[in-house]
Amino acid sequence: MKSHTRLLTVLDRMDNGPVMEEKEFDKLISKTVRSLIKKYDLKYDRNEAIITDDDLADRFFEAGLELASAAGVYCTDTHTRMVFSKEEILQALRWAPDALTIGSGLDQCTIVTRRPEDPVTPKIVGGGFGAPIPEEWFSAVMESYAKEPVIDSIVGCNFFTTHGRTPKTRSPWEVLLAWREVELIKSAAQRAGRPGIGIGVVENAVSEIGELSGSSYGGFPQCDWHHTCFVSELKTNYGLLIKVAHLVKTGCIIHSFYNPILGGYAGGAEGVAVCAVAGIVMECVVNMATTFSICPTHPFYNCDTAPELIWAVSAAQQAVNRNTHLLTTVMTSPVSGPMTESLLYECAAMAAAATVSGTARIDGVRSAVGVEVLHVTGLEARFNGEIAHAATGVSRKDANEMIKEFQKHYVSYLDKRPIGKSFLEAYDPIKVEPAQEWLDMYGKVKDEVGRIGLKMKY
Amino acid sequence: MEQYYDKLMECVLEGEEEEAVEITRAEIENGTDPLDIVQKCLVPILDDVGDKFSKLEIFLPDLIMSADVAKAVKDEIRAHLLSSSNDSESAGKVAIGTVQGDVHDIGKNIVATLLEVNGYEVIDLGNDVAPYAFIETAKRENVDIIALSSLLTTSMPYMVDVLKTMEGLGIRDQYKVIVGGGPVSAEWAESIGADGYSNDANEAVELCRKIMAERKAG
Repeated sequence: MKSHTRLLTVLDRMDNGPVMEEKEFDKLISKTVRSLIKKYDLKYDRNEAIITDDDLADRFFEAGLELASAAGVYCTDTHTRMVFSKEEILQALRWAPDALTIGSGLDQCTIVTRRPEDPVTPKIVGGGFGAPIPEEWFSAVMESYAKEPVIDSIVGCNFFTTHGRTPKTRSPWEVLLAWREVELIKSAAQRAGRPGIGIGVVENAVSEIGELSGSSYGGFPQCDWHHTCFVSELKTNYGLLIKVAHLVKTGCIIHSFYNPILGGYAGGAEGVAVCAVAGIVMECVVNMATTFSICPTHPFYNCDTAPELIWAVSAAQQAVNRNTHLLTTVMTSPVSGPMTESLLYECAAMAAAATVSGTARIDGVRSAVGVEVLHVTGLEARFNGEIAHAATGVSRKDANEMIKEFQKHYVSYLDKRPIGKSFLEAYDPIKVEPAQEWLDMYGKVKDEVGRIGLKMKY
Repeated sequence: MEQYYDKLMECVLEGEEEEAVEITRAEIENGTDPLDIVQKCLVPILDDVGDKFSKLEIFLPDLIMSADVAKAVKDEIRAHLLSSSNDSESAGKVAIGTVQGDVHDIGKNIVATLLEVNGYEVIDLGNDVAPYAFIETAKRENVDIIALSSLLTTSMPYMVDVLKTMEGLGIRDQYKVIVGGGPVSAEWAESIGADGYSNDANEAVELCRKIMAERKAG
């Protein structure tokens, strides 16, 4: 992997970068973001659902690039800023892959770079992204994603229990969590008839322990996509960089995510977008990732589907997808849970916004913001993917009006947390099929989405 | 007083610590009761700041600036009151941190700052904090409340470890323990025997107010 060549440089910058107190780094981010917002005239427009202006997207890219080179990434273990010049960042972006094949055999799929309004269909990932699942239902939940043809790759949930115990991260239990994930997610893929499907792993590796164990002999192979991340805002640590070093040395595909916080050091929607751009480009430089996810977080609702965040996602994605060939991904993280119409409208808004903004891979759905036990199902991921397919090639101008309509169906529910029903009620958990009531709701919302103007393909 | 209120509000929102201290000193020298400054100006201003944050009209860095200004003003007032008044004392002492195995700290930082804004003395232990570190700090600093945050289901068991260790040491009754964070729920809090749960930063402040009122009532 040609983008993996700078590991020693990264570790040198970690050791020898300028030393700074963490609180001072937080202030540096806040001040720099504020000044860049003024310099590049970036302003959130609450009357629009997404941005539709190329020049604005390019200004967001320049601002994000400037933040990345000015602040760098902070390592909380060495208390150093890992600083890279603009030229070094652009060089890293230049050599990043523009296509990636994940999985193996007949089930492999290739993710390709996209531009805003691109006619090429994005790839679809289905999974609960860390939603807590008791181990006895883990495999069935994962099968509910793997058996959906629209889904190209799957990603795990977190175990609420393992071996009948409550697991603890950064303890010996994390090794067992990782191996339980290997065992149960692979059996789910096998049962769905897709043994080689690419998997996002190790979802239960909160620390480096789970990743190192779960990707060792007999575990998840190199052709799965292995997670690392930045901590908000623009921070890393030894644990995350140990994952990176391990994944580089073992030739694994690296997937990196970063979730700026609205109202935090990034500030408002404009600041979230600037931080997201900076985060993505620095994940390319520091984490040497091949796919890059953002899922900005609302401080009170914990979702990414609030209107200001969908706008910020559209700005950051258009910025990066117009100015680089990085393989970007966006995850839908709604407040609503299964068997609620509002969940489907939240998916429609985010998946459409990301697709027309040029996102290469559409991920989700972390229903009920991934905190309610067993409140995720494959059906909402199918819907999320179908929306992405339908929105492919749609103009941003048209999508903007449609998303405003979708938002009318859920925004008033954001503070009410309609968590819906659990997998055991929304599905026949033995046959792994959606309940008729859930299918009826899905059909009704699809009809309404079509009436609003988004022509569903299936 | 009205003019002082407006000026102080401006200082709080702009992070002007020195000016806030200067105008406070002048107001006291002009004969205003320092306790009135706290009760009629500082408290309502900070309530307003908290309200602005809850509507995302201001952001975390503004909140931190406001907390710094409020602390400077309170220090100035305390210097005038010497040890004669209780009203300018801390609303309570809270040790807060994200539990072991979890490095998410922005939510916890928001809670810590909002508590400071509301007059609490806050000891922020940071993130990835070992259970025993909370207990050592509570004992050393004689805190009223231990506030535990977790954004990960696999870190939540460390909240149980804090409570179990306190039980084992026979000090569970000495401190109130509250919990919060994305996957944490009221049911979870109750199931592990925590003294309270809050869904967001504003609720956390209310919870601490309630706990401190009960503690003071004895």
